Amino acid sequence: MENKDLNTKEENTWCPGCPDFSILESTKRALVELVNENKIEIKNTAIVTGIGCHAKIFDYLELNSFSGLHGRVLPIALGMKIGNPKLTVIGFGGDGDTYSEGMEHFIHNCRYNSDMTMIVNNNQVFALTVGQPTPTSEKGPLKPLNPIALALTAGASFVARGSALDIEHLKNLIKEAILHKGFSFIDILQPCIVFHNTVPYFQKNIYKLDPIRDLTNSKEAMERAEEWDYCFDRDQKIPIGIFYKKERPVFEEQLPHNTWYTQKRKTDWQDLTKDFH
Amino acid sequence: MDGYLKIRGIEQKSSHGTSVLVGGLFYFQIIIFCDILEDIMEKTILIGGKAGQGTAVTSHLIAKIFCHLGYYVFNYRDYPSLITGGHNFNVISISDKPISSHKDKFDIILALDQKTIDLHKKNLNKGGIIFDGKGLKPIFGNNVLIGKLFKYFGVDKSPIFKAFEEEFKEKAEMAKTAIEEGYNSIEIKEKLVKNGKEKYLLSGNEGLSLGAIAAGMDIYIAYPMTPATSILSFLAKRQLEQNILVLQLENEIAVVDAAIGASFVGAKTMVGTSGGGFALMTESLSLAGMVELPLVIFLGQRTAPSTGVATYTGQGDLKFALNPGQGEFPRVVVAPGDAKEAIIRTQESFYLSSKYLAPIIILGDKHLSESSYSFDNIAKSSISNSRFILDKIPLNYKSYQITKTGVSPRLVPGQGPVVRANSYEHTDFGNTTENAEWIIKMNDKRQRKQESIAKETKKLNPVSIYGKGRNLIIGWGSTKGAIIDALPKLKNFRFLQISYLMPFPKEEVLKEIKKSLPAGRQAKKIILVENNSTGLLGDVIAEQTGFIIKNKILRYDARPFTAEYLINEIHGK
Repeated sequence: MENKDLNTKEENTWCPGCPDFSILESTKRALVELVNENKIEIKNTAIVTGIGCHAKIFDYLELNSFSGLHGRVLPIALGMKIGNPKLTVIGFGGDGDTYSEGMEHFIHNCRYNSDMTMIVNNNQVFALTVGQPTPTSEKGPLKPLNPIALALTAGASFVARGSALDIEHLKNLIKEAILHKGFSFIDILQPCIVFHNTVPYFQKNIYKLDPIRDLTNSKEAMERAEEWDYCFDRDQKIPIGIFYKKERPVFEEQLPHNTWYTQKRKTDWQDLTKDFH
Repeated sequence: MDGYLKIRGIEQKSSHGTSVLVGGLFYFQIIIFCDILEDIMEKTILIGGKAGQGTAVTSHLIAKIFCHLGYYVFNYRDYPSLITGGHNFNVISISDKPISSHKDKFDIILALDQKTIDLHKKNLNKGGIIFDGKGLKPIFGNNVLIGKLFKYFGVDKSPIFKAFEEEFKEKAEMAKTAIEEGYNSIEIKEKLVKNGKEKYLLSGNEGLSLGAIAAGMDIYIAYPMTPATSILSFLAKRQLEQNILVLQLENEIAVVDAAIGASFVGAKTMVGTSGGGFALMTESLSLAGMVELPLVIFLGQRTAPSTGVATYTGQGDLKFALNPGQGEFPRVVVAPGDAKEAIIRTQESFYLSSKYLAPIIILGDKHLSESSYSFDNIAKSSISNSRFILDKIPLNYKSYQITKTGVSPRLVPGQGPVVRANSYEHTDFGNTTENAEWIIKMNDKRQRKQESIAKETKKLNPVSIYGKGRNLIIGWGSTKGAIIDALPKLKNFRFLQISYLMPFPKEEVLKEIKKSLPAGRQAKKIILVENNSTGLLGDVIAEQTGFIIKNKILRYDARPFTAEYLINEIHGK
């Protein structure tokens, strides 16, 4: 399989130079490599998108796909996973999408630990509605939300931060996230070059976390998460990479049984109704 | 009553008699005789106590024992929203002929506390009796009262023990001492004989659950909310046995979106809620309409806006069920009238939803959900259980292929071709579009589905007519029980029950209305009966047929209709 096999004929309407192009490229590379390594099957892969600039990826990937609602990527993805646990399910959301409209779903899905991946294109601004603040915006009197720290607290079993400015690094993160058994979360720093251009700051301050260290150390993960507060008023180091990774029982396996999705059942009406007689 | 039961005994014997002709004649005479005397065995028992005292369980056991004895039973449940204390009561009406509602007056009161006596004594029939259980040990005392009650009716201990064994298995032994104690404490007053075959006892929520299982449902998802909650617990208990998945998620938004997600990959899904939860779901009702995926929603109405009266009944959500969701999209609203209809209508909902890829709302209420109905048998519908998913993979698959019926052939992810669901307006491949031609094409395709559904629901008994007479009562949903029970005591009335409210059975309704329009000098009445304050079905009928119903019997005190209530009101019209 090659990258071009995932191309569609749809016209791309992201702004020229938008880092969303890089996220698309990283995603394609990750999927193609995983297919070629026989780790996933493309026909059993499905994505869900929210609403916002990120969601246009729906039209640019030749994949089973569900363009959902603002904030509702995770419940739709969870439904797909329980409907057919054999599917590889990847959710794409924006920061407004995931951390504002869909916050309750984000916290609960970190808890549930269903075996799926959630990728957030975090540009710290509502771009498609031309520039309003989101929960991760640094401007104004409100303290920005730190999604990495939140995901760690809420119980996500794979927590990472990627940068749209580093396609290859991001590709590896997406691959690891998909392969991780459990709820994998990647917050991607994706500067909006029109409304929130943070490229120079990121170029100066981003550093890569050592991938070969104890990834199950939640205390260290939290310390790393707090190194940057999503503000730009002073220089702070911004770690990217995997903060935390530790397997724990996944949602699908903790259900009372594991055969409902086989859709095989023999209902004996007489037997079923005998309690009512 | 004794006389009637004796006659019934002969009547049953006559069918085994030497001469069929003689038996037949005799039967005819009995019918006339009964009609004149109206000598039907009917008893109503109220059982009341504080929440936590076991009123509901005790009433269920009593109802079950009467069903075992072959009697028809209707069990109404009335309780406030609290866990312990307060006042809960059940009204069980028992009859040797079919009965589908409870009565306002009682023959027997089983009082688990003084409050029950204080509140309900005024509604005790002349000659009625109170069995006072106060001072008795909790639960033990309930069983003492059950013993007393059935001794009073001259019923053997064995059917009582049988019901306890079925309900509590080996734990039933403990109850037997209490039953014996009650049984030995009073004298036989009446002698009930067995009234034919055992009856089935089923609540509306049990009917909905059985219907869902019969329809081949894979997944039920909900967030607890009265009166839908008991579907969640009923199905959860049967998860392993029926190989279904039952899930509770963080809120109704997650519930409905997960259901749609599961539906996208081919699972048959259902969700259940009440008005407040349904309000949260409406965002995704529109989503299901746009992405064209099956979704079955049970909406159990309660009383009044917002939190309203949480554990009581009402029919105030009719227009809400018909209209929610931005944009125009096909949908179905069906309202079962009793527990047996709940089975059939739920199966039909899965069928229509799977075949026409549209959201379906089963509109019920607390009265349907939590009342128990009795039947000679409970059958399921023979309607197809197909998922309507293609086995053979077509070349050049398009998720939203334009067709005459509006229904696109369906594949699910995993079958091979790319399958898309798009909440944005889309092309036939499912790609996002703002193109004017595609917008029209897709809108028309969706609207054609509504027409296709309407053709199909025409064949599914969208309306039912009961009784004969020039005057017409019109209603929907759970009011059916009281209306049916009132009909024999009303002169010249028939009842039109509207079950499919969307697509609206315009022709069928108009036909019945026309039959009852005043012609010549003959006065005819058309009366609307609804459990709401403005007559919402009346508005829908006016919108759909142009006919305005002026005569309305509306009840909105959170209580369901009874036959007596309706008869009084109708005689006043």
